[in-house]
Amino acid sequence: MNKKIKILLLFLLAAIIAVVVYDYTSTFPGKRPDSPFKYDIEESEKVDGSLISYFEVKRINLDNDDIHGFTYNNGKIYLIVDSFLQVVNTNGQELAKVALEQPAHSVSTVNGNNILVAFKDYLVLYNSKGEEIQRSDFIFENSDLTSVTVSKENIFVADAGSKQVLVFDSKLKKTGSFKGESGVSDHHGFILPSGYFSLTVNNEDELWVVNPGIHTIQHYAANGRLRRYWGKPSFGLDGFSGCCNPYFIAFLSDGSFVTSEKGLIRVKIHKPSGEFSSVVAAPAKFPGGSKAPAIAVDQYDNILLLDFDKKSIRFFEPKPDSINE
Amino acid sequence: MSKLIKRRQFIKGFARYSLGFALAGLLGFSLKKASNKQWVWQIDPFRCTSCGRCATHCVLNPSAVKALHGYDLCGFCDLCGGYYKPGHIARDTAAENLLCPTNALDRKFVEEPYYEYKVNEELCIGCAKCVAGCTAFGNGALHLQIKHDICSNCNECAIARVCPSDAIKRVPANKAYNIKGEFV
Repeated sequence: MNKKIKILLLFLLAAIIAVVVYDYTSTFPGKRPDSPFKYDIEESEKVDGSLISYFEVKRINLDNDDIHGFTYNNGKIYLIVDSFLQVVNTNGQELAKVALEQPAHSVSTVNGNNILVAFKDYLVLYNSKGEEIQRSDFIFENSDLTSVTVSKENIFVADAGSKQVLVFDSKLKKTGSFKGESGVSDHHGFILPSGYFSLTVNNEDELWVVNPGIHTIQHYAANGRLRRYWGKPSFGLDGFSGCCNPYFIAFLSDGSFVTSEKGLIRVKIHKPSGEFSSVVAAPAKFPGGSKAPAIAVDQYDNILLLDFDKKSIRFFEPKPDSINE
Repeated sequence: MSKLIKRRQFIKGFARYSLGFALAGLLGFSLKKASNKQWVWQIDPFRCTSCGRCATHCVLNPSAVKALHGYDLCGFCDLCGGYYKPGHIARDTAAENLLCPTNALDRKFVEEPYYEYKVNEELCIGCAKCVAGCTAFGNGALHLQIKHDICSNCNECAIARVCPSDAIKRVPANKAYNIKGEFV
């Protein structure tokens, strides 16, 4: 009898120890079961590999605290970093460095040699040696110039502060502006939920402006007349999601759009019609990132991404068997 | 005689010192109580990974953790990543399109193209689905927080024990809410 009680007590003790050990080890980080309510965002990040038309070939790391913007022209990369305009080649070797009077937001080249820099509320044109050639007047008190692009006849500047596109001549005199109010019943002026506003001119000298609040990319004449637009809200690859996408746009030589999105960071190509074509960089290329990369395209349709989170310029080349046409 | 005086002196001295010690002790106790901080549990919204355990591990049911909305961070999107689930059929309020398992987010048209999203605290279970969606697709305006009018302020928070990112900490009660944006 005593022996049976002892065995029972030992068994109970062993069971208690087993339960305690199991409970203790099963709640270690990494061993806890997922909550049934967990929203698996990773599913949304997955991209079919056959849709990816580019691959990363190179990366230039930038040794700067603040990276603001960049552009590419004829083998040179023009960077706005900290309070400098820095020119590097595609191997990252510094070709020039010009101290700016304050951090700028955007940069574009003019006629291949001169460099146009957009500060918060004015523009400055520099020559290739970094000497100032021209300067605009201060624009508006609430101006926040976030993007600048140059066509054959005009300079277009996106002002996220006043929510309009400003038009300048080659002497940096303001000649016009428009707010994207086209009069079309189903359209709207520029809606900028997060204070970023992007525009660029394509190879056909057409001005395209992102209207991020309605996930649309719009083509305007210099007088502000809306000519075409495309875009749709979608969590899928065929559209844009979140409140402020696409964040940046650029063009391939055939007129296809390269778009960059924040939130679920991804870079895609859409055909000139707006139809989805392929993916340049899937969300997996930006682990832990939060900012949409800025885009530039070289003369061979290679795509350069300015990764603000990783502080680097990333080079992508078309896959040999690319589906992008 | 001298023996008696010594005894009286001893009693008087004992009484004085006892009173002195008692008063000093009382003063010390009062000071300690006056300076003693109250602590409450809070989530660091920037460390939260929206794992969903706040809904399942709180000792209260439904959880004391609720979704809050930092309106000044919100884009007031039509296609809200915190409201609609991927693959939704239409952008309306039909249940099959919604991410929230308890329909705790109210969507209201403001003006073209803006929509306002408001958390119904009565229905919210703190599952963080809307937080994950808003963080992934939007500005991260929706975030979780422990509501003090519901929380039992346990000595050991059951959610903090299982939080994978160690996002739940005690904070001084005079800084009771750790929130994103201007919570209104």
